[in-house]
Amino acid sequence: MRILHELGVVLEVVKTVENFAKANGLTKIDTLVLQIGELSSMIPRYIEACYPAAVDGTLLQDTKLKIEILPGNAICKHCEKVFNVIENNGVCPKCQSKEFNLLGGKEFIIKEIVAC
Amino acid sequence: MSSFKVIEIKESVFSDNNKQADKLREELKKNKTFLLNLMSSPGSGKTTTVLRTIEALKDEMKIGVLEADIDSDVDAEKVSKTGAKVIQLHTGGMCHLDADMTNQGITELGIEGIDLAILENVGNLVCPAEFDTGASKNAMILSVPEGDDKPLKYPLMFSIVDVLLINKIDAMGIFDFDIEAVKKRVEKLNPNIKVIPISAKTGEGIDEWVAWLREQVKKWNE
Repeated sequence: MRILHELGVVLEVVKTVENFAKANGLTKIDTLVLQIGELSSMIPRYIEACYPAAVDGTLLQDTKLKIEILPGNAICKHCEKVFNVIENNGVCPKCQSKEFNLLGGKEFIIKEIVAC
Repeated sequence: MSSFKVIEIKESVFSDNNKQADKLREELKKNKTFLLNLMSSPGSGKTTTVLRTIEALKDEMKIGVLEADIDSDVDAEKVSKTGAKVIQLHTGGMCHLDADMTNQGITELGIEGIDLAILENVGNLVCPAEFDTGASKNAMILSVPEGDDKPLKYPLMFSIVDVLLINKIDAMGIFDFDIEAVKKRVEKLNPNIKVIPISAKTGEGIDEWVAWLREQVKKWNE
């Protein structure tokens, strides 16, 4: 079930990129770059695992996949320190508060393609 | 290779689906059809809850049901006995429905004259949470035997739904299920959520659930 989850989402990526390529008259896509937040529900190695199956028979069949990880950073509500949520287990390393506002890390973005 | 260039897209992966979902929602609104997306894990009592809901509302509104399953039509058969219009959607192995599939189901069902359409999503707490189906409101069922720790394990699902039904409360005595703990955990993720304890088996709490749903349908058509 786990890879199935990523597969559904990667199929969505393929659809979006194909539509973008069509709309912009692109015929060859060399590389696809995704940005995934480290707090997103998507797991990069599962994305990579199902990618070949998802692109099979599509315009992205020979397209290389590159994944960039975006950090899950937050700002402490009490002392305003910026810290990484995962590395610090959700606790501010400066004042030990558990209350923070997330600055990022839940993204799942198609960043760019290398195409012609 | 020299003609290849980097083209920025900067688009959230779900934007395509979100656009389709918004379009479907608009159409439903125009047609005065309320679409409820009902999600849960397998065996939580989705179909029994749907049957109860139809029974309670069938005299005041016209109801259609979309049954989504990876395979089989056992649920559709059960629901069709109520006299409600039922469409079986096979997701073909996919673990969720997206807006496009929902749109196909809605088209097949035919929304003309349908006041309330209930989408019984695939039994799964992970994937359906990621995809906007175009529904007017999202509901989920958590049943007592599943345990009160589920909001901790599947936070996304609990954070996107408008209403949480806690089903099988008639079995509360048998399981270590702390309903207050669930409420606290859920409200932390989703402060605006409505929590309604029910038993689809005995009918307890169904009145409150149906009242909530009736109110939402009314608001949708205003």
